[in-house]
Amino acid sequence: MGVTIVQHYPMTENRTGPQVIEFLTKRVHAMGAAQAGPFLVDCETYNSAPAFGPPRTVHLLNNSEQPATVFSILESGQKQVPLVSDPLFMDLMKKLGSVYTCKQQTRMEAKGPRFEVADFLVKLGTVTMNANFKGVLVEVEYRPCLVPAACWELLREFMQGFLGTCVPNQPPSYLQNRMQDIYQPLDTIQQYLDQFREYRKAVTVR
Amino acid sequence: MAQPLSTAIDTAFKSNIVPDQEYLLQGSILDTSVEHLLHRLRGLCDNVDSGPEQFQDHEMCFTIRTTPTPLSLRVRRALDHTDMPWQLRYIGQPEYGDAKRPTIIRSSIDIGCSASVVEFLTELGCRMDFEYLARGYMFRKGRMKITVAKIVKTNPNKSQDSMQLISESYLVELSVLAPRGQDAIAEDMRSFAEQLRPLVNLDKVDYKRLAHGPP
Repeated sequence: MGVTIVQHYPMTENRTGPQVIEFLTKRVHAMGAAQAGPFLVDCETYNSAPAFGPPRTVHLLNNSEQPATVFSILESGQKQVPLVSDPLFMDLMKKLGSVYTCKQQTRMEAKGPRFEVADFLVKLGTVTMNANFKGVLVEVEYRPCLVPAACWELLREFMQGFLGTCVPNQPPSYLQNRMQDIYQPLDTIQQYLDQFREYRKAVTVR
Repeated sequence: MAQPLSTAIDTAFKSNIVPDQEYLLQGSILDTSVEHLLHRLRGLCDNVDSGPEQFQDHEMCFTIRTTPTPLSLRVRRALDHTDMPWQLRYIGQPEYGDAKRPTIIRSSIDIGCSASVVEFLTELGCRMDFEYLARGYMFRKGRMKITVAKIVKTNPNKSQDSMQLISESYLVELSVLAPRGQDAIAEDMRSFAEQLRPLVNLDKVDYKRLAHGPP
């Protein structure tokens, strides 16, 4: 595991989702990438019942890279509390059904092919909300390094090389305050959640 | 294509491979006699070479106002192994059954988790009811787990040495976590409990009756 950047890839009017994935796949292949299985990141959102005090939201996320872990992020007012746990936590959430309910319409998913390019891992994700296409997310991981500050420039250059100008010169806002910290799988999940929020807000494909 | 984890969990529950039932027998023994019991358990149990495993756990009990009945959740952490994951546990209502049933059965979900669990539960809307320390020994016999532990009242303002013991005896628990429908294990537990019988009476303890005093 290494430092990971989750990047939104803007859609153009004349291309469909599968076409963008195919286009990016060709570019990744041109760099000498080898496909190494699929990947899937999904997010289910639970909202507290109105009678249960101030509104609270729990996001349950899974990443196929950590298949035996559930990442939960609880939002209560301005406060965010993460919890990393065994998958059975999902069953516990179902037991709280009378106070926390899951809306199937807001279920988000990013899935697609996964590639290995030397020290990098590239994932091309098709984002769907309740099976409706919302856009394309590209995840790039630099595996030998765990400190974002030490490899951001390298990652940026690598990503701009095959994604172009959609990659900003600044790291994602979530990572900006954590550039010197040791990177953890939860940091990838937080970036996905930030992106999923934007997709939920967007009326059309992004 | 990778399948969502939620689908995998549903499948695991449908195929009855998730150990979500706890078979339980409880009893107690006076401090003055506990050495005899430990000696006997050392002889009967699997970890005979390494000796009994000691543990020191801190347990916090939370409730959340679900309907129709409030849900009880427990958080446990090992004070002597601070690098281990914390444990979040749901325990359902105990079923005592009739006299023929050898043990209590209660549903149980054990979840290893990060140390943020207390803050998570508090923000989720849970309220902490009580907390205590359990200090003692753990033995294994096949799938059975036997704990002999002293229950200690915690006092957040005082150091660990000045903690107050709840009683002059040790709590003895014999338990197995198993998937649904494996009732044969309950018979094994009964026969194991029989072997400890002269020292400790392991039985189906009904808390509701205890709360109202002896009949």
